Amino acid sequence: MATKTKEVLESKVKDSEIEDLTAPDSLKVPAKPALKPVVVPVDKPVVYPLDLPESEIRLRTPAVGQRASRPDGRLHGLGQTQYIDDMTFPHMIFAKILRSEHAHAKILSIDTSEAEAMPGVLATLTGSEIPVNSFGPTLQDQPVLANEIVRHAGDGVAAVAALTEQQASDALTKIKVKYKPLPTVFDPLEAIKDDAPKVHAPRSNIYASKIIKKGDVEKALKESDQVFHKQFKTQMVEHVPLEPHSSVAMWDANGRVTIYSSLGRITLGRDDLARTLGKPMNKIRLVGTIVGGNFGGKNEITTEPILAMLSKKTGRPVKGTFTRGDEFISSTTRHPFVMDYTTGVKKDGQILGRKIRLVLDGGSYCSWTSTTLGKGGILAAGPYNIANLLVEAHAVYTNKTTTGAMRGFGAPQVCFAYESHMDDMAHALGIDPLEMRLRNAFTEGSVSPTGQLLQSVAIKESLQQAAERFGWKESAK
Amino acid sequence: MKKRGRGIACMWYPIGFTVAANPSAATVKINTDGTATLLTGTVETGQGALTVLGQIAAETLGIATDDVHVVSADTDATPMDTGAIASRTTYVTGNAIIKAAEQAREILFEAAAPMLSVKPEQLEAHDRKIQVIGFPQQYKTIGEVAHHSEIVIGRPAIGSGSYNPPTVEMDPETGQGKPFSTYVYATQIADVEVDDETGEVEVLRIVAIHDCGTPINPMLVEGQIQGGISMGIGFALQEEILFKDGKQVNPNLTNYIMPTSLDMPELEVDMVDNYDPTGPFGAKGAGEPTAVPTAAAIMNAIYDAVGVRITSLPATSEKVLSAILEQKAA
Repeated sequence: MATKTKEVLESKVKDSEIEDLTAPDSLKVPAKPALKPVVVPVDKPVVYPLDLPESEIRLRTPAVGQRASRPDGRLHGLGQTQYIDDMTFPHMIFAKILRSEHAHAKILSIDTSEAEAMPGVLATLTGSEIPVNSFGPTLQDQPVLANEIVRHAGDGVAAVAALTEQQASDALTKIKVKYKPLPTVFDPLEAIKDDAPKVHAPRSNIYASKIIKKGDVEKALKESDQVFHKQFKTQMVEHVPLEPHSSVAMWDANGRVTIYSSLGRITLGRDDLARTLGKPMNKIRLVGTIVGGNFGGKNEITTEPILAMLSKKTGRPVKGTFTRGDEFISSTTRHPFVMDYTTGVKKDGQILGRKIRLVLDGGSYCSWTSTTLGKGGILAAGPYNIANLLVEAHAVYTNKTTTGAMRGFGAPQVCFAYESHMDDMAHALGIDPLEMRLRNAFTEGSVSPTGQLLQSVAIKESLQQAAERFGWKESAK
Repeated sequence: MKKRGRGIACMWYPIGFTVAANPSAATVKINTDGTATLLTGTVETGQGALTVLGQIAAETLGIATDDVHVVSADTDATPMDTGAIASRTTYVTGNAIIKAAEQAREILFEAAAPMLSVKPEQLEAHDRKIQVIGFPQQYKTIGEVAHHSEIVIGRPAIGSGSYNPPTVEMDPETGQGKPFSTYVYATQIADVEVDDETGEVEVLRIVAIHDCGTPINPMLVEGQIQGGISMGIGFALQEEILFKDGKQVNPNLTNYIMPTSLDMPELEVDMVDNYDPTGPFGAKGAGEPTAVPTAAAIMNAIYDAVGVRITSLPATSEKVLSAILEQKAA
């Protein structure tokens, strides 16, 4: 069907070209308006009809419960969505950022003079020129551009704005940064030790902790028929949104700055911009567009203040789009977890007590670590009724890529641990893994690890429905 | 030899921020033809949020999804919003939109009451009409009422509202408290094939049953679940940022391996029947939790297939094979 439509359209295009270019007026066949293709002037012209009928489902009432299509879906399908990198403004220039190759080092000097003399370069920027050179949702421990110490290989140290991206990239190679390397620590279990190199000296590497305590876990473990212990570990992963971080900043003659950004949170993004730029909030306009994937990775500012300052210096709109490499080494990632689980059970599978220790690799800056620590800790025991519980969770700095918000805030890590642990116990006790879960799962009115009375609980329903759909009983070995 | 295995994993996940305030505000403007404009400060990050939010506004006003145009994400024009984070948009922004739309709708009820010779509280908005409760044949169209209210009475139907999920601070020593207003639940079951000579794991099928309260748009929830599973498969089997001396060695899509459509198993996704009285029309959320149980289900399926417990992610072929060889040696 789609191919056929394409053929029809192509033939129509050909027809119209013939009409316009070769046929004398007298021989022209009038085009049927309904089928006349529209040519949209974009870089690579696409041809399609714009008067498609509206989906019937979007016209139905009541609206809730309908499988309504997305208004942005058609724009995506027709290539009409304007992502930031599709936007262009008169006299717009491009910014690139020089990043540290060192995992931990003191910056002795930054010399941008040679870069400034490069063709096409209109301005450079270092951290000392940013009015308030720090940001972060919980702790403002991260510089917009590092100007004293770099704490991971990926910290931005200087920026260049030039007429083309290539000129900006070329100029980066001419910036001279002198570093004095500092001792490094990469393993969170090493970083937690007292004598480990300090990532944010003189502060301890342990920068957030959480404890959840309920009942008497030691007593429960003693009274258990069997006690199981295992350590689980997870890795660092990237969000990999299809659209990398991208922004355009325009500083106007009234001192008002407009920023188009791929951020997923514009209200708090504007707060951060007001703080870093030292401007009242009403002098900043932050516009979000359709974002090409977020997954938690676009929840805080990255280059926006840099682009704004470069725009102020040059009087031009300044665009900055991350390369895939920037995306990996300088944006946030998922926290690696080290998780120790000790669980005491009765022979019938009932969990009597559980002790959990979580160590989060917090990377070089706090970012959304406190949230990840909190959610990870609260969720760590699983959706199970456990009267005796002790969860101890710590986040530690390391000289690695910053870890931050990512889809699930620690939940995928702890779920891997508590559900693997659950199966180990079920197998050891000779209980079917589904049955083991049903025996311990929350029900309506269960009390959570933090003492909260739970409502609209549907864990057993989801277990039973999934088992039925999968054919759990039928597929037993 | 290729061996089959199945693994189950369930999870729970909260909606919104941990204790901290995370409000949303919204403004709803009803046009004089009965269509409406919703202003929200949240951002469409690909999840379909604006569609769901438009449906919530439409439902409250008794009009259709397409009758509501959603304007989003401009700090000069849209009200504050904590943003597209913490699986909070449907629940928190949705509740704010209901309040805003109710306020706008109240103006219509007050304008329509004398037109229909009843009191405002005797009216309801349904199928693009303002009608008398119990007497649906007595009605005025929303367009007629909105026009009358704005052009004749001089009272445009505009409403604003905000919502913040209620929480209770956690005790610093015991963690006791009410950190979230509500939670969602889910189970995923994976069917895998493990080659015991190479350690390669192929995920054949995943059944995913998620609770999101009452779905506002089941199609978009299914989309979230499918996307979450693909992210979960990457986390389970392939993705890992590797370091040497503190520098990433694979910061590119050639050497950082993630699932493509060819790696996706057969998916069966559905929702449990549920209703949360605190959510907008019974809804909770569906964004993040979809990626949560996938890796655990796959690891349990690997154990079922070849009897090895993978304790560190990702379960690459090398790691699975070495676990199999270790087990044979033992």
